[in-house]
Order: sequence, then structure tokens, then C-alpha cells
Amino acid sequence: MKKYSIHIIVCIFMLIHLNVFAQTPLLNSYSPAAATVYLDFDGAEVNGTIWNEQGRILAAPSGLSAASVIWIHKLISDHFKLFNLNITTDPAVYERAPVHQRIRIIITPDGSWYGQVSGVSAIGSFVWGDDTPAWVFMNAMGNNPLYIAAAATHQIGHTLGLQHQSLYDAYGVMITELSGGENNILSSEAPLMGIPFYKQADWKDGHPSTGAQKLQSDTAMIAGAPNYIGYRKTGEETALSGNAVKIEKQEPGSLELNSSGNYSYRLFDISGRLLMQGNLKTGFNEIRTSTVNTGVLVLQWSGEYVSGAQKIIN
Amino acid sequence: MNTLKTILSGLCLLCSLQLSAQEKPAPAELPYSNKIEVSDQALESLFQAPENISVELAPGFHIKGKIENKSDHGNSVISLLIKLNNAEGSMLSIARYRDPKGGIYYTGRLLKLHDPDGMMLIEKDKRYFFIETQQRFLVSE
Repeated sequence: MKKYSIHIIVCIFMLIHLNVFAQTPLLNSYSPAAATVYLDFDGAEVNGTIWNEQGRILAAPSGLSAASVIWIHKLISDHFKLFNLNITTDPAVYERAPVHQRIRIIITPDGSWYGQVSGVSAIGSFVWGDDTPAWVFMNAMGNNPLYIAAAATHQIGHTLGLQHQSLYDAYGVMITELSGGENNILSSEAPLMGIPFYKQADWKDGHPSTGAQKLQSDTAMIAGAPNYIGYRKTGEETALSGNAVKIEKQEPGSLELNSSGNYSYRLFDISGRLLMQGNLKTGFNEIRTSTVNTGVLVLQWSGEYVSGAQKIIN
Repeated sequence: MNTLKTILSGLCLLCSLQLSAQEKPAPAELPYSNKIEVSDQALESLFQAPENISVELAPGFHIKGKIENKSDHGNSVISLLIKLNNAEGSMLSIARYRDPKGGIYYTGRLLKLHDPDGMMLIEKDKRYFFIETQQRFLVSE
């Protein structure tokens, strides 16, 4: 009996040891990119930022299992797979990243120092250069990894300069600041910069909380100034969402498309600079690209209920 | 916050009077009614000030408080966090950037969490302005 007891005690100590010293897996979504988002699951001490009105903030470790961290990292990475941006859990990668192209997202249980919200961030802080972090508060989401990933992507979007995608009535009066995709009740989609928790969420072109007369293209803002992230330089075709627009034929100076609806389109270079824009009609379309630079370009299209993007080589 | 608003309103009035007397008006395309122009020299003085800071950034725009933090980031950025005594605990966060060619730039924001309004430092045509803005455009949940 004594022998078994010792074994049991040794096993308990080993389990405690493994749990206490379990390390966050070091993950990178796209290592070639200099621009970096660091998902900090390990707890943090934060000083000297706009969050420190009441002094030092001690953020507890997330306490998530390695499997949950891997899953959350994958979900967030998928949201940013179009961009030349690395989502990492490695603090050393964050330290090496350019100060004007990095952000730390602290994922921690308790946000009571701020309030009962799923997270908070400073608009545009990705380029501030002063290591102001953004926050995801897990307790507000029941520690659900799906919600944590959606909230983290939402906060990253804010740090990249995005405002909320809002819903307005025909007179331009705001109905709700956070759109949940209500304008299409038959769709299962919602804006990542609205309420991203209950539907398939994606980046959108829509009207931001700054005004009904404005248009916010989430992907264009992420890629372009002042973030200057751009798009991934791989030549492979990557659809962000849906197959609403299909490239049928591509020749030097010309792009032939088959569109499933009437959409607007925009063509960007790899740095996120807008080169062309126009409209696609249902069916066959041709875009003349002879006036734009050669190289890897990104075609984005958007309609009322669908949006997507695809890389092309001109 | 009411005190802050009163102070800012007074400052903006003073500043608008001062701007109207200047030869170069503020850029018309700045879509903000409440803006205070501050000079590079005034901004730089924040970084040279002692811990208990008292600096007049513009006529009537007085920054008085305590430097809570001063830190370097990657050899190109110095950031300051100043807790203001004269604006009900608002924080001024300001950073100075040095580009590879030696150019100096500043960014900053003045806010108190959960207040409806704040201020943002912006650069336009190599001139700096503190503009008043809704805080939800500075911080978002």
C-alpha cells in the first residue's frame, strides 16, 4: 500500500508540474511577414500605456490548454490568410518585428479593470510603435475558444484602424453600431467588425460607425496605409469567401471573369494600393489591366450579401 | 469630464483667436471644429521635461501633471505617458518617432477611459494639431 501511495504521489506531482510549467506552443501563421500580431496567452504586466489610468495591470495567464491555443491561433490565422501578416504566439518573434508594424493581443480571463466586455483596443495602435497592447477578456465569453478567436480578430481589426461595421436605415440613421448581419437574415454571414460570434464572420465592405455616408473596406484598410501590410506574395489563388466571381481566362492586359451577381470590384497591388475599380455585372465580364503594373495583384469584389478576394498575376 | 470640456472649450476659443491672427490658417480640409495647433518645439519640450511636468503646449493649452512612464521602443520610438492634474485624471500618451533619415514625428492622444470625448494629435502639412474627437474613435470594444 505504501509503495502504491508513493507512486500516486509522484504521479500527482508530475501532473502538477506539467500543468504549471505547460508552455504555450510557439506558432507562426506566415513567418516571411515582418508585420506581426502576437497572441499573448501567458499573462502580462502592463505599464505606461493608455490602459494604466489606475496604475500597473497584472493580467493573468489564459489557462487555456495547448490544444485550445492551437485551435484559436488557427481560427485567427485563417481570418488573416490573405495578408502579409504573421500571427504568432512567440514573444521573440514580436520583439524582432518592426515597432511600427506589430501589436500584442493579451488574452486573459479577467477584464474587470476595464469593464464587462469581450475586449478593448486602441484604434490604429498597430502602427503606434509604443507597444500599447490590445485585450481579449475570456470570462465575458464563457472561455469558448470560438468566441475568443472571433473577439481577438475583432480587436486586431481595431488596432489595424478598422471601426465597427454598422447598420443604418434608409435615412442614414444608425440602427445598431455593431452589425450582426441583420440586413440579410437568410445569410449565415456577419461582419468580423460587427458581431462576429454567432454567424460565419468575415471581412466586409460596409458602412462604419463613423457615418452612413462612408464606406469601409476592411481588407483594403488592413492591407493599405498606414499599416502597409499588403498581401501575401504567393502566386496561389486564395479565395477569401465564396466563389461568387470566377476567373475564366487571364491574358496579358486582360482578365475575363464570370460573376454570379452584380458586384463592385477593386484591384489592388500587393502593397494594398488601389489601382482600378468598377462594377461587375452578372455573367461575363472583362477587365482591362493593361494600364496597371505587372506582378501579383489582388481582386476584391463585394455585393450586398457577399464579398471575396482573389490573387492574380498580371 | 465637464471640467475638461470647459477647459478645452476655452482653449479652443483662445486658439481660434490666435489662429485667426496668424498668416497661415489651419488647413481647411481638417474636418474638426475644435483643434489646437501646437509647435514641434512645444511637443519636444514634453520629452525634456522633469517628472512633475508643467508645459504650455499652446497659448492656454497647459499640460500639468506627472510623467508616469517614459520608455524606448526599438531605438526609434520614445513614448511618454503623462497623468494630467488639470483634466480630472486624463492621460496624455505621446510618442516621438525618428525615421531612418533623421526626421522626427509625433503622435499622441489625450483621453480618460470611458469618457465620451478625447483628443488626438495629428500631423497635417508638417503642422501638428490636437483635435477633439469622440473617444469611440480612439478606443473601441
